Amino acid sequence: MTTLAKDSMEAVFEGWTSTVGKPTMDSDVRMSTRNVDVHYGDKQAIYGVDLDIGKNEVLAMIGPSGCGKSTFLRTLNRMNDTIDICRITGDIILDGDNIYDKHMDVVNLRARVGMVFQKPNPFPKSIYDNVAYGPKIHGLVTRRAELDEVVETALRKASIWDEVKDRLDQPATGLSGGQQQRLCIARTIAVSPEVILMDEPCSALDPIATARIEELIAELSENYTIAIVTHSMQQAARVSHRTAYFHLGRLIEVGKTDKIFTAPEHKLTEDYITGRFG
Amino acid sequence: MTDQNMNAIERLATVKEERMKAKLGKRYAKEKRFRAYGVASIVIGLCFLAMLLGTIFTAGWSTFYATEIRLTVTYDADAIGVSDLNDESQLMFADWGALVKNAMKERFPYVSGRSDRRAMYSLVSSVAEYDLKDRLEANPELLGTTEEVWLMADDEIDALMKGQVDMSVPENERRISDLQNSLVESLIESGELKKSFNTTFFTNGDSREPEQAGIRGAMLGSFFTLLVTLALSFPIGVAAAIYLEEFAPKNRLTEIIEVNINNLAAVPSIVFGLLGLAVFINVFHLPRSAPVVGGLVLTLMTLPTIIISSRSAIKAVPPSIREAALGLGASKVQMVMHHVLPLAMPGMLTGTIIGMAQALGETAPLLMIGMVAFIADIPSGPLDSATVLPVQIFLWSDLPERAFVAKTSGAIMVLLGFLAAMNLLAVYLRKKFETRW
Ligand SMILES: Nc1ncnc2c1ncn2[C@@H]1O[C@H](COP(=O)(O)OP(=O)(O)OP(=O)(O)O)[C@@H](O)[C@H]1O
Ligand SMILES: [Mg+2]
Repeated sequence: MTTLAKDSMEAVFEGWTSTVGKPTMDSDVRMSTRNVDVHYGDKQAIYGVDLDIGKNEVLAMIGPSGCGKSTFLRTLNRMNDTIDICRITGDIILDGDNIYDKHMDVVNLRARVGMVFQKPNPFPKSIYDNVAYGPKIHGLVTRRAELDEVVETALRKASIWDEVKDRLDQPATGLSGGQQQRLCIARTIAVSPEVILMDEPCSALDPIATARIEELIAELSENYTIAIVTHSMQQAARVSHRTAYFHLGRLIEVGKTDKIFTAPEHKLTEDYITGRFG
Repeated sequence: MTDQNMNAIERLATVKEERMKAKLGKRYAKEKRFRAYGVASIVIGLCFLAMLLGTIFTAGWSTFYATEIRLTVTYDADAIGVSDLNDESQLMFADWGALVKNAMKERFPYVSGRSDRRAMYSLVSSVAEYDLKDRLEANPELLGTTEEVWLMADDEIDALMKGQVDMSVPENERRISDLQNSLVESLIESGELKKSFNTTFFTNGDSREPEQAGIRGAMLGSFFTLLVTLALSFPIGVAAAIYLEEFAPKNRLTEIIEVNINNLAAVPSIVFGLLGLAVFINVFHLPRSAPVVGGLVLTLMTLPTIIISSRSAIKAVPPSIREAALGLGASKVQMVMHHVLPLAMPGMLTGTIIGMAQALGETAPLLMIGMVAFIADIPSGPLDSATVLPVQIFLWSDLPERAFVAKTSGAIMVLLGFLAAMNLLAVYLRKKFETRW
């Protein structure tokens, strides 16, 4: 996008008032954000986002590159704290607690809100140690047998157990990309989080590995709240219950996934999902 | 505009093959030339290295063996003037030299006259009598008995045996007389003179007598100095690197610190020596010539190297690993200790060993803090006076005796051996830690 186009885009937002659709929920809310602004130095990346994520819900976030999806996702477990120039205002509530509250411990928060990254990033340790790491550092298990059980369950839930059960002590970096990503999901599940954030978890994977992860997301949604950023419209349509469309840092439209993809209300959403934009 | 461009590109297609062929020849020639330059510079470098090692080895290898003379020594109580080996007052005035002299007189009864006798006595090292003293004190029952012992030859005889003496010049211009030469020849004939591995070189401290001078004192001095350096600079350097990379806020202050660390790495080492003299010796009154002070000074010198290499090792750890750890709820310290440090360790170790190798070869700052003194005793700890290998080399290179020339090169060989060993260790550690995954 040229500067010219960007400026004219800014002009679109001159009269921008609020998100189309229904960003908030009446019950069963797991996480909610109110009036969240994010700045990188002088540059604003997120403008006043109000959004609720329900229990056992899969929320897909879509939008053109650079619109702030990752930024928004990373505010949900305070991963942005590691970026010095990043400033966040507004409220982000997890089960009634403001996660940016002084009393909120970020270590505990991240045990409750786990994250799966775009590129599989297993530790250069054994498969077992990768999964066992979270429970160990949080002191979740007291006995080795218990840890073994947790590791097995997590690997089973991430549907990778059968492929790795005979090589748990081998380096995780020796797995294929898709296996590594499922291992990373197992690693995240092992600390029993309430929410799992996924930032384009399939972008480095082939269609078969992608299909397996998507199945996995469907299964996981029975127990967890999942927020997933994706560039694939089909993927959003397949895995999510609700979809949020972001554009230049604004949350443009939120709604039931089938509605967003069949009858979007906002012009920008329509342009994006019909491929006229992005 | 677009049309014109298209036409230009279509036109290109017709001449492409021909032009590329012309270009190809040039490119090959260029690549060949480039490779030739590379090979030439490596060959030149290797030539210099070979020359350096060649001169050092030819000059130094002879120092690793020494000439010894077999004598039949009678531990005669009357000759020494000691009847009771436990009597300190007797020992004080004992004439140990008589043992050697008597043995020599017995071996060559035909040598007479004061000056001839003196020439004969000087075949054996002037310090050999103390070896006999030590032997007798350790085994008092030997008093009054006779035995055959191998004693160290004088350094001039040693030089003669090593072919370093030109016997063709007139007698008064050389340091070995014809008489001495004939005595040596008869000793060789009867098998009473041999060359053997020079253990003295590795077991003795420094000495004014070249045949007695060894590098054990300097080796241990270097060892204690490096021990102090390692014990201080590794933890401090790694901790500083971790703090600067992972915890310090990025602001003006840390920027200034960073620039200064880089500057420190370029400061001439003698400046650190002056600093050590002013601070550690004059203010804190630490002992002069001691490996502790040397270690402290070398710590100052190696810290920047270690910090810089540790920081780049930390930087090389992929950010995705950090995110993975933080995303799981690891604290920053856990992230560093569990993931960053193990991955950065090989780089840190390599940097540290390179810093240590630099420290091992460092001379100038140690001159400043008095490690250049003549010290014959072998240090038994970092607080004893000592010198270090490179300073020992410097000291010996200044001495006039011919044997010290060989010793200088011999010590250089030992130093190079240690340096090579340290660098091999660095390579080994890097390989070992890297191949784990
Ligand atoms: N660390 C950072 N420092 C400064 N600006 C940043 C940083 N990270 C992101 N931004 C800016 O914030 C805006 C949103 O970036 P973000 O990564 O959230 O986009 P995204 O929607 O995830 O894009 P993509 O789909 O390409 O991943 C971009 O304009 C980007 O340049
Ligand atoms: Mg992104």
